[in-house]
Amino acid sequence: MSSKRAAEGFADVSHPAKRSKKGQDNDEYVDVDNLEAVEIESPPETSLVPRGATINFTALTRKLADARREREIAEGKDESTLSIHRRQQDALVSHIFQDHDFAWLHLKPDHASRPLWISPEDGHIILEAFSPIAEQAQDFLVAIAEPVSRPAFIHEYKLTSYSLYAAVSVGLQTEDIIEVLNRLSKVPVPESLDSFIRERTLSYGKVKLVLKHNKYFVESSHPETLQFLLKDRVIREARVHSAPVDNSIRAATFTTSKAPVKGNLVIPGTKEAEKKKEELANGKGAGGKTDAELFTSVVGVEHDEVEEDDDNVHAFEIDDAKIDEVKKRCNDLEYPMLEEYDFRNDTVNANLEIDLKPSTVIRPYQETSLSKMFGNGRARSGIIVLPCGAGKTLVGITAACTIKKSCLVLCTSSVSVMQWRQQFMQWSNITDKQIAVFTADQKEKFAGDSGIVVSTYSMVANTGNRSHESKKMMEFLTSREWGFILLDEVHVVPAVMFRRVVSTIKAHSKLGLTATLVREDDKIADLNYMIGPKLYEANWMELAAKGHIANVQCAEVWCPMTPEFYREYLREQSRKRMLLYCMNPRKFQACQFLIKYHEDRGDKIIVFSDNVFALEAYAKKLGKLYIHGGTGQTERMRILQHFQHSPEVNTIFLSKVGDTSIDLPEATCLIQISSHFGSRRQEAQRLGRILRAKRRNDEGFNAFFYSLVSKDTQEMFYSTKRQQFLIDQGYAFKVITHLDGLDDLPGLVYKSRDEQIELLSSVLLANESEAELGTDVVASEGDLKGTVTSKDFGTPSKAPTVQRTTGSLTALSGAQHMSYVEQNKSANRKLAREVAPRHKLFAKRDKDVAAARKEARTASKG
Amino acid sequence: MKAIRGVLLTCDSAVKQILLTMNEKGSFIIEDLDDNHLVIKADEEYRVRRELEAELEKNTYSLE
Repeated sequence: MSSKRAAEGFADVSHPAKRSKKGQDNDEYVDVDNLEAVEIESPPETSLVPRGATINFTALTRKLADARREREIAEGKDESTLSIHRRQQDALVSHIFQDHDFAWLHLKPDHASRPLWISPEDGHIILEAFSPIAEQAQDFLVAIAEPVSRPAFIHEYKLTSYSLYAAVSVGLQTEDIIEVLNRLSKVPVPESLDSFIRERTLSYGKVKLVLKHNKYFVESSHPETLQFLLKDRVIREARVHSAPVDNSIRAATFTTSKAPVKGNLVIPGTKEAEKKKEELANGKGAGGKTDAELFTSVVGVEHDEVEEDDDNVHAFEIDDAKIDEVKKRCNDLEYPMLEEYDFRNDTVNANLEIDLKPSTVIRPYQETSLSKMFGNGRARSGIIVLPCGAGKTLVGITAACTIKKSCLVLCTSSVSVMQWRQQFMQWSNITDKQIAVFTADQKEKFAGDSGIVVSTYSMVANTGNRSHESKKMMEFLTSREWGFILLDEVHVVPAVMFRRVVSTIKAHSKLGLTATLVREDDKIADLNYMIGPKLYEANWMELAAKGHIANVQCAEVWCPMTPEFYREYLREQSRKRMLLYCMNPRKFQACQFLIKYHEDRGDKIIVFSDNVFALEAYAKKLGKLYIHGGTGQTERMRILQHFQHSPEVNTIFLSKVGDTSIDLPEATCLIQISSHFGSRRQEAQRLGRILRAKRRNDEGFNAFFYSLVSKDTQEMFYSTKRQQFLIDQGYAFKVITHLDGLDDLPGLVYKSRDEQIELLSSVLLANESEAELGTDVVASEGDLKGTVTSKDFGTPSKAPTVQRTTGSLTALSGAQHMSYVEQNKSANRKLAREVAPRHKLFAKRDKDVAAARKEARTASKG
Repeated sequence: MKAIRGVLLTCDSAVKQILLTMNEKGSFIIEDLDDNHLVIKADEEYRVRRELEAELEKNTYSLE
């Protein structure tokens, strides 16, 4: 439902937008039905239908009004018009909505000024994003609910247990949530939802998991809660019995200690930090609260103080190995554990001297996300979701600089390990010695008591045999207590691996970073108890509007299959089908046309193809440079350099290798000719390649994202599926069925039928293995499967195939006037190699020659 | 010779290819006129339409 709605966002807009302009007066329906104005009791039915779900709504209203007018003429004005009208309307509209017909819901009289509509059934919340108070409402909704879909005008959110859990963990109170919801909603908050919120939030936040002296404790200020938990078998078994040290009367079995108290904490790099320097006043956390409106103050963090009234906390220890089970069990018992780390009062672990460089300034949304994490002066564990190119790394680094303890960074591949290290050096004042790298090739330890280690998930989670060195390194990692563990790209890590990491490494707080919290298998929920709740999710459209990421126009180009190709496509059942729709000559033409069009506009274009066979064929035919796994390191660097600096190279073809690791801020246009089936993540990642476009702040600048799709093939199915994530983020995909001027393009490839058939036969001759995707990328040791970010590609794993042919020796050696010409030369070869610097020996001679020539010239003149 | 009742189908080239493939399983095409036109047996029309619909539906992604 949701994304369908999203796609229709535009069609839908005109209606509600018009209405909101009319304002709050209730007589806006007079023009539709002047009878109803008399009967104020009856709510104007027309607006009872969830607007997000209306498609032909205006049309229906008109139809309805027409029908009614006819009736009026026929029957005259009659007392039962209302009931007739109602019946009529039900008959007209009801069947469209089926179970979702909420015509019986009554709106509040001033509903026009309230932006929310809450579904009484499933807790979905629809927000009118064009409402004047939408921004505040959105802040509030992001805190309590999960965004489902956020196109330009109508947003959809969903209340879930986890989102409420997150809301409580950032310090919201049950009553506040319900009150604000009620205030914002057009309809009264449904009974069921009310009780759902109460039920879920009451037990939340009562139990905390803390790490003290390298041991895990379950902590609570309510001994009854702990008693209750201990009655559970799983938790009881996980408990470590130590002799009760404390002699607390109330609960001798628990250790009791003083609860942490909130103090002043400032996240470095934020505006608050700057303010701090000037006034040294109160440390109330994020954002200026001067315009203390109801919503913002609720969303703010001041409510945290309430829970700190209790000054005694009780705890029992649990076994490290069972930590995960206990967490899961607690979730099932609806006592999810909060993980908080009071890092400023931690005297056991050595402090790390790390701070952001003075020149580093973080952006407002990065600040917001961090204020959610450090809201009450302690570090909460959780996940922050930011789009690609919006500075996830900086958020991570700032968090590390705030905690100032030893820190472990885990990423997916050895390439990103080096990138993280480099970023740490760039943004913070950390020294070379304090930051160490643990990969298959490098095993370092930091000097001193505290420092940063950057590694990959698989290095840490590896259970197999290890070399002596890595064994020692692992001992080093597991033996100590980490203040902070940063998990990059959390959405790709398999649950098993995660569990191993979480149980072997002892960390006080965890922060997960990701751009796309989607998985094709629904394992996302696991992250909730393994790391923590989602603390913040940025709105892509909002960031684009503010110029933090580029504005992107997305389009899907439909290329009809030529009859010959389609014939073969229908007969082919194997994976070669895919090769057929990639190599569709019409797609070739569309690709050529788009490249030509955008090169003329002055865009820099990246063409993506997962299929290496198609990649080479396209690049060679169109005479463009290309990079795939088999391209050597030096050649790659040369190509990328030309793309970045030379005005003659405006287009490059990239295989899967370009999905993540290659950073090209010059690129402003992206064309996709083949992709990895229905992977929503890949689509988002590819879009991320142009989100950080350098020119994004130019006025009226748009980046372009094209997906070429062969009509009537499976590709149509995958393409729609891939787009779902981006559509939910508010991107609208335009469908282009015909490229104007395509047929008149001079030098159009595969124009004649003969050429097309020739192409077809070359495709049919290709090995089936050619149809495989991403064959060119070899993951190095320590890379996670499926993340393909390896930068130093090995040779393609394909074994060279030997062909035997018969022929006379004379003919083959060229004696019979046979010559070999390479037909489709790779444009890579033509690329001018750098002129080798001349040897010093010759430099002097060159000078002498030049001097002699000059002399000769002057002599001849004179 | 017995006369067969036929129906003229106008379709795009892709659909024609699908119909040709279907025709291999059970023959229903009387005459292949050109890229966009076919004459098929009138009795088979309903079945052909239904099967074609199913075939095309395979390439459509829906959320449900």
